[in-house]
Amino acid sequence: MNGENTFQKNYEALISRELLAAWVEGFKENFRLIGPAGGKGEAEFREVFSFNEINLDYQSTMLPPGKTFLLKPVEEILSFNITPGGPVAEEPPLPDRKRILFGVHACDTHAILYLDKVFLGVFPDPFYRARRENTFIFSLNCKTVSGLCFCHLVGTGPFLKAQSGYDVLLTDMGSEFLVELKSVRAKKIFSLEGRPPEGRDLEKKKELELELLKNFRKDFKADGLREVFLSRPDHPVLKETAEGRCLSCGNCVMVCPTCFCHDIYDEAGVSLARIKRMRRWDACQDYFFAKVHGGNFREERQARLRQFVFHKLDYEGQFGVKGTVGCGRCIRWCPTGIDLTEIAKEMMK
Amino acid sequence: MPFFSGEKRKPRAGFFKFSCCTGCGFELAYFQRSLEDTLKSFDFTFFRLAYSSGALEGPFDLALVEGTVTEPHQAVELKRIRENSAVLYAVGSCAIAGGIPAIKAGGRELEIEKRVYQKKLYRLTSMRPSVLSDYVKVDGCVRGCPPGRRDLEEALVSILLHRRPEFIEYSVCVECKLRGNICLLVDEGLPCMGPVTNAGCGALCPACHRACYSCFGLMSRANIPALKNKFRELGLSGEEIERRFTLFDALRLKK
Amino acid sequence: MKNPYVPFKAVIRGIGQEAGDVKTFLLEPESGFPPGAPGQFNMVGYPGVGEAPVSLSRVPMEDSDLFEHTIRAVGRVTDFLSTFREGDEIFLRGPFGRGWPLNEVKGKHLVLVSGGLGLAPIRPVVQIADKLKARRITLLHGARDPGSVIFKTEFRHWRKKGIDVELTVDEPGKGWRYHTGIVTEIIRRLKIAPAEAVAFICGPEIMMRFAANELFLKDVPGSSVYVSPERRMRCGMGLCGHCQHGVWFVCKDGPVFSYRELRGYPDALF
Repeated sequence: MNGENTFQKNYEALISRELLAAWVEGFKENFRLIGPAGGKGEAEFREVFSFNEINLDYQSTMLPPGKTFLLKPVEEILSFNITPGGPVAEEPPLPDRKRILFGVHACDTHAILYLDKVFLGVFPDPFYRARRENTFIFSLNCKTVSGLCFCHLVGTGPFLKAQSGYDVLLTDMGSEFLVELKSVRAKKIFSLEGRPPEGRDLEKKKELELELLKNFRKDFKADGLREVFLSRPDHPVLKETAEGRCLSCGNCVMVCPTCFCHDIYDEAGVSLARIKRMRRWDACQDYFFAKVHGGNFREERQARLRQFVFHKLDYEGQFGVKGTVGCGRCIRWCPTGIDLTEIAKEMMK
Repeated sequence: MPFFSGEKRKPRAGFFKFSCCTGCGFELAYFQRSLEDTLKSFDFTFFRLAYSSGALEGPFDLALVEGTVTEPHQAVELKRIRENSAVLYAVGSCAIAGGIPAIKAGGRELEIEKRVYQKKLYRLTSMRPSVLSDYVKVDGCVRGCPPGRRDLEEALVSILLHRRPEFIEYSVCVECKLRGNICLLVDEGLPCMGPVTNAGCGALCPACHRACYSCFGLMSRANIPALKNKFRELGLSGEEIERRFTLFDALRLKK
Repeated sequence: MKNPYVPFKAVIRGIGQEAGDVKTFLLEPESGFPPGAPGQFNMVGYPGVGEAPVSLSRVPMEDSDLFEHTIRAVGRVTDFLSTFREGDEIFLRGPFGRGWPLNEVKGKHLVLVSGGLGLAPIRPVVQIADKLKARRITLLHGARDPGSVIFKTEFRHWRKKGIDVELTVDEPGKGWRYHTGIVTEIIRRLKIAPAEAVAFICGPEIMMRFAANELFLKDVPGSSVYVSPERRMRCGMGLCGHCQHGVWFVCKDGPVFSYRELRGYPDALF
């Protein structure tokens, strides 16, 4: 955002941590506040009741904020009342609670933009849309980089560069926070008090990012993968990794912030009074995922692993962006440490 | 034909037990919120845990069978149940994978009997344990020790709706993630069997900070060697690893 | 916004027994159900049982809103539906997907190739054959044995419309008067001007592959050969992800694809 606007109304400001706390506390009246909480072990995104619960220095979470709170893990999408005349469909009410998803890192913000492409496309999903519209995204630029992060290679971080699709961007500048209102609705609803950023502040922000960029350890070439993937879909590294290490447990895709696949199934109680049509996150690593009567299109473990790696690192034609945002969760939470970037590197050799 | 119309006769059901702890039967008898509906919808003509009398002969629209076959007369009885039942579901790890009664499958029958009973072994009629599907066709597996609510309900509903059941067939890891449990295997290095274990429990143990011990049995096509490798990396001995994999699945893995 | 998961109801107005476990349901949808095009599919199902993608085997025409689904009882949903009788209601959502590219057929030699139940999505093309303004239409259909040939009674009628119909079975019984062998062999004998030909193929994936290869040997370009692959589907709208093949969602980008669009991605025979 350029600086001219600040003369009319403050869309960018530097505020102290205390003021930030007070500012966010002020939203509690109208919003349910969800943020990264818990410092010991892993932080997790959950509802918080005071700003103090929020861990602003968190590194990552096991479950991604966007997918967890916009596409719920399990959700009722329809129900049928069984009447003597037959089943009668009944639509569950759409979620209408206003929420703030606070402290979403750049990668996870990009993941939400990816989910938007899936669920707000030709066939918009009403539940996702309702949640998305009622959720204000407060993104937070990263302060640290883990050994598994590779957002810098896929253009999704560590500092958020996207100009729309979220509401507020926060950067920890040390003694102060730089707060930038990004969306039209944020500019309309929120007011900012604080010192407008000057040239040296923006300079400092750039320095912080450069400093961060030095800490990345992952390194593979994301360009040119397409040719390699399509010409060598049976590369031995896939078979070796699949058979030697892949457990088909589905952890990678469950924790992936862009993995949108879900199953739809019916739940009927023994009374058969009401049948619920549910959806639940599903895992393409599961043996039955692509099975039809005539056969299973990904019968082999290797094929399922390949689907994951290719879908994340290639197949840009699907939504115009890569399926990965470089958050490193699939590597972090794989029980046997399978690393898609290492597989890609091996294939590029 | 839609299920809400047509004949109104309650399906006849039987619950049968072989060698096991009866936990699956208890699970059905304590089917908390659904017990009343279950008894309204089904005519349990044989269910020892619920009724002292009962007609063993059938015929049954649904036979639920728990336990491992460890004695010859059980095999005979099982075959008779099968012949008199339209649908037969194996219930619980003992019936499906051997479970606890099959731990002995790892050794010789006589040696194990000696260890347990010391003398008068000629009185014993027990034999090498078998799962139900060794003797009869099984139409579905309600996995668990005891089964989870969802699959038990699915078993009953499939009969009421006259359709095939669809039991849960994915790993415990999936349920852990749905529930938001922090992974014990990755985060704490606990030897968790979740990645190879069939879900259905709702990731109960990991939610209580306890590593999964595979009581629901292995999921189909689990990558057993890969997890064994992982356990070795965690420092488990060969025996410790074997015990984890054969606690509930001795029959499948010893074959 | 309307919940796209809410199904429409349709009353079964007639049931045709095609072959062993294959039935054709003539359906009258409740008002508001959009008409479908040849090659499109509906998510057909029943509450408590689930939904399965089934292609239209007859599309609504000017004179009637009725359409048909031809179903083989092979799965949870189709087993269940196969017990339905006239007057029963089923539930469906749709029609979904991109159907056969009918506007590319004008003035061309349309080669329809089907195997087994794959004739079902091809049948609506035949149904509206006279509107297509194709120069010539050839239908090559293969089945396992004479007893599993579907729409048996209709071939005579189709021939009367001027369509060349060639039938072949793997295992001929007594009295079989047509070809024996796989459908690719008939393609081999077929006279085709490659630049003039457009082919629609539907059947088991291996059959589609060999049929297409046979056409390529005759220099028909991959962009003129269309296939309709089968995939697991839960939503029909490109959301659930089960039907993904490479960059495609078979449900919303297909189910009909030109061979060129599909080629190169793993996990399929194309």
